[in-house]
Amino acid sequence: MTSTEVIFTDVSKFYGEVLGVNKVTLHIPPGITSLVGPNGSGKTTLMNLMTGLIRPGRGSISVLGLSPNEPEKLMRVTGYATQFDSAPRWATGMEFVTTGLTLYGYSQHDARDRAWQALDQVGLTEAAERKVAGYSKGMRQRVRLAQAIAHDPQVLVLDEPLNGLDPLVRAETITLFRRYAAEGRHVILSSHVLQEVDLISDQVILISNGMIVAEGEIRGVRDEISEHPSQFIIRCRDASRIASLLFCEDHVTEIKMNDDRLGLLVLTRNREEFSQALTRIALAGYSIDGVIPSDENVDALYEYLIGGGRS
Amino acid sequence: MTTAITKVEVQQAWTIARSEMRRAFLSKRGLWVYLLALFPCAAYLAHDVQMKVMEERWTRHGLTSVQLVDSFTKGETADAVLKRAPNPAFDHSWKNRRDDDGDRDGRAAEGREKTGKDRKERAEETVQRRAITYFDGQRVVDLRFSDGVLQEKLVRPIRDLEMDRRIFAGIFQYFYLRLAIFFGCLGIFMNLFRGEMLDKTLHFWFLMPVRREVLLAGKYIAGLTAASVIFGGGALLGYAAVLWPHNGVEGQAFMAAVGWSHAFWYAAAAVLGCLGYGSVFLAAGLLLRNPIIPAAVILLWESINGFLPAVLQKLSVLYYLQSLCPEAAPMDENSPMLRLLLAPAAPASKSLAIVGLVAVTALVLWAASRAVRTIEINYSTE
Repeated sequence: MTSTEVIFTDVSKFYGEVLGVNKVTLHIPPGITSLVGPNGSGKTTLMNLMTGLIRPGRGSISVLGLSPNEPEKLMRVTGYATQFDSAPRWATGMEFVTTGLTLYGYSQHDARDRAWQALDQVGLTEAAERKVAGYSKGMRQRVRLAQAIAHDPQVLVLDEPLNGLDPLVRAETITLFRRYAAEGRHVILSSHVLQEVDLISDQVILISNGMIVAEGEIRGVRDEISEHPSQFIIRCRDASRIASLLFCEDHVTEIKMNDDRLGLLVLTRNREEFSQALTRIALAGYSIDGVIPSDENVDALYEYLIGGGRS
Repeated sequence: MTTAITKVEVQQAWTIARSEMRRAFLSKRGLWVYLLALFPCAAYLAHDVQMKVMEERWTRHGLTSVQLVDSFTKGETADAVLKRAPNPAFDHSWKNRRDDDGDRDGRAAEGREKTGKDRKERAEETVQRRAITYFDGQRVVDLRFSDGVLQEKLVRPIRDLEMDRRIFAGIFQYFYLRLAIFFGCLGIFMNLFRGEMLDKTLHFWFLMPVRREVLLAGKYIAGLTAASVIFGGGALLGYAAVLWPHNGVEGQAFMAAVGWSHAFWYAAAAVLGCLGYGSVFLAAGLLLRNPIIPAAVILLWESINGFLPAVLQKLSVLYYLQSLCPEAAPMDENSPMLRLLLAPAAPASKSLAIVGLVAVTALVLWAASRAVRTIEINYSTE
């Protein structure tokens, strides 16, 4: 069976009596997908399940039609940069990456070439011949990323991949993820930096206590949260007059005026009607410089759906 | 699911084995296995040094030719002996009451009957004792005189190849096979998976496009290579240390007759021990966290092998290994319990022992390959 998706079907995983994930059903399409949830919510468990490091207690998992029980096939199309901070003691950065590549069937020469390219992408060429055990935490993070991308996988699974990266490498890494996504590959990552997730993700999966709380494109997920009014920031010159006009609308629940009186924060229960109201106001001759949705981001979704402390 | 090993998988197993050999040979947790492996060699080298010191000490006291030493016969007088060989290593005289002497050598009653003297009279009689010791470069010869006449000639070689070989056979079977290789393999093979769990590095291999069985094979090859080199080498070094001081005619004759064959079988028994115990501890490392438990259980199983029914005896590594040893180990005939524990249950022929050992190993590795498929990375519980 061939498939372009990563599919979880009714997957549960318990560690003894401790819940890992419970009855997870997911269809992850190509693109950048972020797993978001508090510590212990099950993000890493999902990643470990899809790469075969752990086995589900029930349910099934398919990665591009391949079973995680067959690493010899799965890992040819998958690269996983784990959060496990240890590396074999014997390995230099170069050996760490080339040993893996030789197991993929590359010759020593080709493996070194590819390893060098991967290490270059994560800015680690200078330390390539040093022992990984002596690397800093950030360098170990980068060498794991290099190993995950070295064989050019179709599915890249990354547990907190941007931790410990300096701004330049971080930007280059995000560019790499975007390139992968543009090529129709999967980049599945977890991150606790919600702004970052917001910036790079095509879709998000919100997970809490081992259960999937929401999944899909950020805008789509936001639309489905009806109990929280949508928030918009309006930049305008005549803020007080526009505020009084909007108050007449039934769907508007709250308006806050900026201190500079050049902007408004509007809470509405109906995005369509809000849009129409703004059009009427603009046609009436009031100047509106811009309208920005302020809670169509992972931060807001997290707050609405999960709340509490963030991972 | 296919279980046949392809050419690519052979290459993968070899790549894994090469990487893992560093862990197997040089793991900081496992450096003590070298001490176990080299103990017999070290013990014999220490023994050799001790013998060398003893030889030098005897030589300083006086050296007599072999022919002269061999020429002394019972009934000769001490003066005649000293005239022919005037430089003994030791010459010591003392007196005994004849009664003491008689009691000791069992001639008292006979003496009493012949002389008819009573006990009081006899107590006043003495016998002149003398011990003259010669050293011919290899043997210490004690000549025991009574009233100046040679009664006894005791010959003790400083180096006794026969004795050294028997002691080595005992060390090899009771220490090397039962303890050194057993615990050495425990250290090497359990470390291959369990050590990686503790180091939190096993996921590195699990994230490679490699069948778990191939990973198991690669790690086993690495462990077996290291254990064979360490313990096979240790056995050969130990045996060399036994033979090294006997480099004279006796040593050469022994080597020409059976020496090389014995050396081969000692090394083979050590390597096959690593093969068998290695598979057992590799499997145990997959299934159990605490090495003490499998070690205790397997050690007990191996120890009570002699008490088990014939079928179960064949599920023991030691059963086959003892059959491969080229020389019988010395056994205390007065301790039947010890004899039962240490003696081979029912020795098999060498070829049968090898086949049996390989079969036991294959069975255990098959079980390990089933276990490795289901193993999960869960470092937090380690």
